[in-house]
Amino acid sequence: MNNTFRLRDAVPLVLVLAFVFISIAPLLWLMLAAFKPTADIIAIPPVWIPDFTYLQNFRDVLTQFWPFIVNSLVATIGATILALVLAVPTAFALVNHRFKGREALADWILSTRMMPPIAAAVPLFVIFRGAGLLDSLPGLIIAYAGFNLPFAVWMTMSFIRRVPKELIEAARLEGCTWWQVLKDVVLPLSKSGLAAVATFVFIFAWNEFMLALFLTTREAKTFPVVISSFVGTGRVYWEYIAAASIIQCLPPVLFTFIMQKHIVSGVTMGAVKD
Amino acid sequence: MAHAVSMTRAPKEATRRSFLHDDRFQMTAFIAPTCIFLALLTIWPFIYSVYLSLHAVKLTAMQRAVFVGLDNYLNLLTDPLFLRAMLNTGMLAVTSITCEIVIAFVIAKAFVSLSHLKWVNGLRSLFMIPMMVTPLIVGMIFSYVFNPVLGIANYLLGGVGLGPVPWFGDTTAAMISILLINIWQWTPFMMLLIMAGLLSIRADLYEAARVDGAKWHHVLRFLEIPSIKGIVLLGIILRIIDTLRFFDVVYVTTRGGPGDSTMVLTLYAYQQNFQFFQAGVGSAAAVIILVISIVITTFAVKLLRRIEDE
Repeated sequence: MNNTFRLRDAVPLVLVLAFVFISIAPLLWLMLAAFKPTADIIAIPPVWIPDFTYLQNFRDVLTQFWPFIVNSLVATIGATILALVLAVPTAFALVNHRFKGREALADWILSTRMMPPIAAAVPLFVIFRGAGLLDSLPGLIIAYAGFNLPFAVWMTMSFIRRVPKELIEAARLEGCTWWQVLKDVVLPLSKSGLAAVATFVFIFAWNEFMLALFLTTREAKTFPVVISSFVGTGRVYWEYIAAASIIQCLPPVLFTFIMQKHIVSGVTMGAVKD
Repeated sequence: MAHAVSMTRAPKEATRRSFLHDDRFQMTAFIAPTCIFLALLTIWPFIYSVYLSLHAVKLTAMQRAVFVGLDNYLNLLTDPLFLRAMLNTGMLAVTSITCEIVIAFVIAKAFVSLSHLKWVNGLRSLFMIPMMVTPLIVGMIFSYVFNPVLGIANYLLGGVGLGPVPWFGDTTAAMISILLINIWQWTPFMMLLIMAGLLSIRADLYEAARVDGAKWHHVLRFLEIPSIKGIVLLGIILRIIDTLRFFDVVYVTTRGGPGDSTMVLTLYAYQQNFQFFQAGVGSAAAVIILVISIVITTFAVKLLRRIEDE
């Protein structure tokens, strides 16, 4: 294949450009508002190009609401670590250990992914209230890790399956315990796959809103919950919403661009049982 | 190779065999925590939700639960708001997923036909952005763009002599706006799946079809649709599950309004539980949502297995 433009590429290219525009224009429009003073945000006809040195909105959001950004980061990173710590050994055992009911167990774990969070909402609320986990970061970490666990196990399994069986058998013949096989053979070989799993869990946990809305009230509120409160019954704080949206979107987009190659293969490999 | 080095070190450690080094013990220790965690998060809540759904109970006074049998379910099935939520969720699932597949297929074809141009990969990354945006922020974006007073959408439409469109302000328009937002966010996801399916078709099959004089709709029917059927079905399952959970966008844009026009199932259950504290009614709604999810996924997974076997 050559990297040159042909005439018959024109129609698909126009189509693609049109859809890329539709995809990013609304997001971009809100982001531009982050660099405008309030009067410019609500101005009609609109102020198209803002003064990008106007950073007051970011300053306001960061100084007033930084503890909630920290909450979001702690809950997300904590949940990512907890989910991986639980998922990797489980996935490893499900791939390499033959026992009765293995398939059924793997299917059950995946099927819990289909559980709508609202169905667990009240019971979760009641246990958390009893255990003193309401409005606390450990509570959020447990909930987020739990809801992402099925997916993490399933996707990790698909990466662990790609480790050559011969290597594992050789290690076993040398007398390695399963723990050593996992630690010294499988983990180094599936690092990039695990990076993809971590990215997905990170994004899901970072974007979560409904659970945080009723599990947190003051101390442990996450950033999305704070953003949702900018739309009050009275005034809508567009300047805060715009600046906060950029801050909120940054971590997942950065992560995804860094991990793009893994993610494309991750989606297809993790989703289809191969 | 790092693992080869570490493997030579392994036997020395393994000579000291103890209970902790027992194979079966290690494997159980690997699997058990996850299973216990998931059981606590899924099976237990399910049983508890069923229990609550059979009682008249307030979230603020859980100890005063009164057994009412199936009353909560009967009330739900006669509550126009709940029926509206069911209808809206179903409509949203059917229309948005259909539109997503059609648009995603066209764009996937365009991207595949441009795949010899390296820089087009960058455009694809840009196109994927909506699916990564926090759903809550998606709601904010369109509250701003579709705003009746300061929205850019009506300003631009006005510039070409159209509108103003009521967007979230009118019962029919609000539902269509929610539908458009869904399509905007999730078409990229469907596109990714369809593109993976299309790229798995071998080039010589297209060549053979061309030599045999096949028209585009023959290629579509006999080559492309069979190749992407499995992965699209998987996409449909995941999107149905998403629609049953759909919450964030309606929560910030319409709160189910105007009237009951954009009420969806999860928002209904959420409001019953955490705004009106009706844990009994809310749990009954949650159980119904869960049962719908289970029925759809079991059915869909069976269908998926059959397609994979073909």
